[in-house]
Amino acid sequence: MAAMELWQVGVLFVGIAVAGAVATRVGLSVIPLYVVVGMLVGPNVLGRYASEFAVPAGDIVTILAEIGIVLLLFFLGLEFSLDRLLEAKRRITVAGLLDLGVNFPVGVGLGLLFGWSLLESVLLGGIVYISSSAVITKSLIDLGWIANSESEPMLGTLVFEDLFIAVYLAVVAALVGGSGGLETAAVDVGVAVAFLGVLLAGVWFGGPLFERVFDADSSELFVLRVLAVAVFVAGVALAIGVSEAVAAFFVGMGFSSTDHVERIERLLTPVRDIFAAVFFFYIGLGTDPLLVATTVGILAVAVVATTPTKLLSGFYSGRIYGLDDRRSLRVGLGMVTRGEFSLIIATVAATGNGPVMTQVIPAFAVGYVLVMSILGTVLMQYSEVLEGVLARRRSEAAG
Amino acid sequence: MTVYESDLPGVGKKFEVELNDGSQLVIVIHNTGKRELFLRESSDADSEKLFELSDRLARQVGTIMEGAYFQPIRTETIDTVLSDETLIEWVKLTAASPLVGKTLAESEVRQRIGVSVVAVQRGDQTISNPGAEFTVEEGDTLVVIGGQDACREFQEYATAGSSADE
Repeated sequence: MAAMELWQVGVLFVGIAVAGAVATRVGLSVIPLYVVVGMLVGPNVLGRYASEFAVPAGDIVTILAEIGIVLLLFFLGLEFSLDRLLEAKRRITVAGLLDLGVNFPVGVGLGLLFGWSLLESVLLGGIVYISSSAVITKSLIDLGWIANSESEPMLGTLVFEDLFIAVYLAVVAALVGGSGGLETAAVDVGVAVAFLGVLLAGVWFGGPLFERVFDADSSELFVLRVLAVAVFVAGVALAIGVSEAVAAFFVGMGFSSTDHVERIERLLTPVRDIFAAVFFFYIGLGTDPLLVATTVGILAVAVVATTPTKLLSGFYSGRIYGLDDRRSLRVGLGMVTRGEFSLIIATVAATGNGPVMTQVIPAFAVGYVLVMSILGTVLMQYSEVLEGVLARRRSEAAG
Repeated sequence: MTVYESDLPGVGKKFEVELNDGSQLVIVIHNTGKRELFLRESSDADSEKLFELSDRLARQVGTIMEGAYFQPIRTETIDTVLSDETLIEWVKLTAASPLVGKTLAESEVRQRIGVSVVAVQRGDQTISNPGAEFTVEEGDTLVVIGGQDACREFQEYATAGSSADE
């Protein structure tokens, strides 16, 4: 693959900037648009007609995208509070288990129905289970729902999903990376668990150390130290076969108990946004729309099967939080959006073996995230229409 | 007045304030520092966004609301609670106050009453940490820190001679 030139990096950022502007103008989430732009200027579309102008999916973009994953998960860990989870544990746990119990098996079942192996089906389960924290949280703020009571079950369920995805990624990354055989797989999972154990101990006991090491006066030194720790630890994890995303999540958790959280959020959010955008763009670069087109059958089945399940689990999560029908419906509508984590699971799948993992699942995931993120955002925007329908139904049933 | 506080994971914190007419004021403080204010007509209505403020602006507006810059004269004092026991109190002096025309040393408020004058506001000027030789004038606002009882006593002493409705 050709080395990347600066002007091609320029094309990358111009593409992202344009995609962001268009998404904001039409009121859609930015994530699917970043992916689409990546697809359009990448080797699979532009490359077919004018390869000299296309952005190659070269090593540099791959590295930038990996930093994007690391920062996405680092922030997830940073904002993840075990105390908070424990505080509202009954409701979060019940709503979270309901969400997991309804949506995950549906994905696994679909995979088995398509004739995939168990591991491939488990990957599909993860892709259709995990809602998008980034898109949903942003929509909540944009629509002003954040001030309403429906935001609590939604954010609570997302916290549960975040914790689950950390454990899930650790396990599937080890399983996918394994060379087969049950024994080697067990060893790989063991290594992952041990490494994460070491990190967790660091998180548990390292609080005061983190506090001191990162007590830099200059913003420059501070940003550099945080990035250094996150990227270095994640990189080491990847080198020994553990998911870099999970390692980054744990590093983020390590910081969440320190006084630096607010400063990190203020100074590193723009850095995360840049690299995360490159990650979504990179997903697009590697996606062949023709390949996505070949998955349209399973895509249609998955969309039809997994939209109602999220609506249902979301609706009943709202009821667990004691909300009325209208607000519970909003919880359901809001949880439909899938996004960044489904794509991260797809990148894990792409490191595996066999055509399903390396081609079908990544192509499917892109198509699925495009449909579900647009569908979810639109459902939230037009919730009033559906709320009206629900209200009429109820009054008819009563009358 | 009841204030409900709740966490918004990944976003920040939400405060719901019950207003007298049954509506609720909802304040969302984002981790980024941004404040969003919403009004909810009743507990099951949707929140209507009123406006948003940056961190800096919110603090300034907050100080104005608290009355640090201008206090309607009906209440002569404002106090801010540091802990259960300790207060910071603002007292504006009228011409009749026994403190006017004396230096801080002469009025001996620290020795007799037990409050320390930490700042004096004179017009748009704030004199922080005034020394013992500082002479208090009519119209000065004294910012004092001390125990609850001492602050009460100081307020009574400093405003002695002013009519209650002034």
